[in-house]
Amino acid sequence: MTNHQTSRRRFLAGLGAAGTAALLSGCVTSGSSGKSASGGAVTLQSNLSAPQAKAAMEDLVAAYVKKGTGEVSLNTVAAETFRTQLPTYLTSANPPDVYTWYPGSVADAYARKDLLLDLGEVWESPELAGYSKALNSLCTATSGKKVFVPTTSYWWGMFYRKSHFAKWGVSEPKSWDDFLDLCDKLKSKGISPIGLGAGGNTAWVASAWFDYLNIRINGADYHRGLLAGEHRFDDPEVRKVFDRWQEVLPYFDPDGTAVAFQDASTSMLNGRSGMMLIGTFFADAAPKDALDDIDFFRFPVIDPKVPLAEEAPTDGYFAGARTGRHDEVIDLMRYLGTAEAQEIYIKGSSGTVLPCHPDAGDAGTPLVVKGRAHIEEAAEITQFFNRDSSDALQPTADNALTRFIAEPKSIGSILTTWQRDAEKIWNA
Amino acid sequence: MAVLTTTKSTSPAPAPPRGRRGRGARRTPPLVLAFVLIPLLAEAVWVFWPALQGFYLSLTSWDGVSAPTFVGLDNFREMAGDATFRDATWNTVLWLVLFGGLSAVLGLATALLLQQERRGIGFYRAALFLPVVFSLVATALVWQAIYQPDGVLNQVLESVGLESLRHAWLADRDTALYAVIVPALWRQIGYVMVLYLAGLKGIDPALHEAAKVDGAGPWQRFRHVTLPQLRSVNAVVLSVIVIDSLRSFDVVWSLTRGGPYHSSELLSTYMYSTAFQSLRLGYGSALAVVIFVLAFGVIASYLVRAFREAD
Repeated sequence: MTNHQTSRRRFLAGLGAAGTAALLSGCVTSGSSGKSASGGAVTLQSNLSAPQAKAAMEDLVAAYVKKGTGEVSLNTVAAETFRTQLPTYLTSANPPDVYTWYPGSVADAYARKDLLLDLGEVWESPELAGYSKALNSLCTATSGKKVFVPTTSYWWGMFYRKSHFAKWGVSEPKSWDDFLDLCDKLKSKGISPIGLGAGGNTAWVASAWFDYLNIRINGADYHRGLLAGEHRFDDPEVRKVFDRWQEVLPYFDPDGTAVAFQDASTSMLNGRSGMMLIGTFFADAAPKDALDDIDFFRFPVIDPKVPLAEEAPTDGYFAGARTGRHDEVIDLMRYLGTAEAQEIYIKGSSGTVLPCHPDAGDAGTPLVVKGRAHIEEAAEITQFFNRDSSDALQPTADNALTRFIAEPKSIGSILTTWQRDAEKIWNA
Repeated sequence: MAVLTTTKSTSPAPAPPRGRRGRGARRTPPLVLAFVLIPLLAEAVWVFWPALQGFYLSLTSWDGVSAPTFVGLDNFREMAGDATFRDATWNTVLWLVLFGGLSAVLGLATALLLQQERRGIGFYRAALFLPVVFSLVATALVWQAIYQPDGVLNQVLESVGLESLRHAWLADRDTALYAVIVPALWRQIGYVMVLYLAGLKGIDPALHEAAKVDGAGPWQRFRHVTLPQLRSVNAVVLSVIVIDSLRSFDVVWSLTRGGPYHSSELLSTYMYSTAFQSLRLGYGSALAVVIFVLAFGVIASYLVRAFREAD
């Protein structure tokens, strides 16, 4: 009872405090330039709270401090909290300096509100000179300013276990029809062909299917335009995506929207489901002996005329515009962009990511080598639904897609609702 | 304080108390003033001011980053045409009836069952009260494991030959809301039971004796003695249940997040997701205002009734 009361009050207080903070920051922006205290350690706000990733971040910070050019205090926050607090961090009067986050549309949304520090100086340094053109444009805001330092990226694919495929006598499909055949064969053996993992708190995983079908059928350009609000979700192009999806829907694990991706990937590793469209991050939870047995294939090409695109999200850092430690932040960012820093992170974490620095070495496992080639063959790279649009648009997709998986017949009304919900976000 | 002064004034002499009461109020000890004012100040800073801010935000469009823009009653107008809001309101009503009604009935039933002092009764009371001690988020984690597709519930159904009922309980829009009500009930029953136990303890045993002598059966005694005697407790239970229903959030959020596709959405979860996931804090605040008005309406009508009875 009492804890209920306090939680309610705390919530109201929090809501109000957020309002007060906005008012205060409003005063701050109109009054002075509102810089945080200068000098001292740079605060690095990190959402990498998984044990391996967190340890890797600690190694990285220790290595930077050892270099002796600056001090950093690492502040690791749970991913969900980080995401909801990020706008508050960036607008508060005394914000953290550097944040882990994503480049592209998400970063640009903040940059357009003048909340991100111009990192042009960092990009001029020789360390970042070798970065690819694609990364260059990904980290450039609409204003033309560089606002992001990319460090690692990973890829999505159809993951499976080699030993299971051998046991079932099946092999990687090349075309969409091959893929349907494979699903059919697995189903006849009593295996759920496709695991999903859009239940629990990871409904967003289903968006990978939407992203891939859309970039295979309508192409990456259309996909980005759609997420930016230039096209409509109830357009016939989007309808085609779901018509395709209906062809494979019978092969989806019936518990697909009931279990989280962690459980779904365990099912795949145990052979209860055949394969799974997922990012390499799922390997963090895989047992060591299964790691060498994991392989993946490209999401099958549907229309060969559409330029080949792959989903390969990039991670990295940006800095708040209100930081009072400009020079220290630039120095840290320069370090984070080096091959050395990225190698330290890869060594400390699960090692399934690829460094952004062209000279940095990856983990070198066959899986990573294949992943690198997989990305390099692609003509276009997309990030992921929320990264190519905004975090606010993601829940609209979650609702539409879980409803589609449960009631594929009412796709017409699902898309109408999706468009209406998305408009509220775009117009907000 | 008023009680103290009146008893003092009435005991020495039966003089008209009006003048003395007035003087008593003027001589409020500073300690009492401090007891009133300091919490009031804390309350004002941490509760009233933020609440007022919330009201103001409900009239704005705000993304949490840029400055809020004033939009008047647009948020409330949008609410009128919002299908999700309608569903969430309906679910909240359903929740109020099912969660509230069942926890009152079952809480009273268990209290009646466990009111007699028998050997080992303490164990049963403790067992029923135990869920109240757990945080609802922890409770939700346990129930999530029960509801999993290969969780305890489905395994039990399978072992008794009811495979046809096997279900992804939380992922099916037809069962999600009910599946979420069960853990909330599981916890609330123990709480309501304790309230009723206290009420039952307060009933004079002589009343039951007298009714028995007059030849009243167990049902008649329950209907005409126990229930009327529990009236004041009923009022407390009612307000607790209504308020708890309206603010139910944690268990729903941790089990389904209002999903699948809004089928277990309550006003509280809808408010949270619009405010902090869609970052539409203006519309979220407007939803919070609606919840506040509903809760306040219930409490106010209860208080008005209680004061009228006291007069």
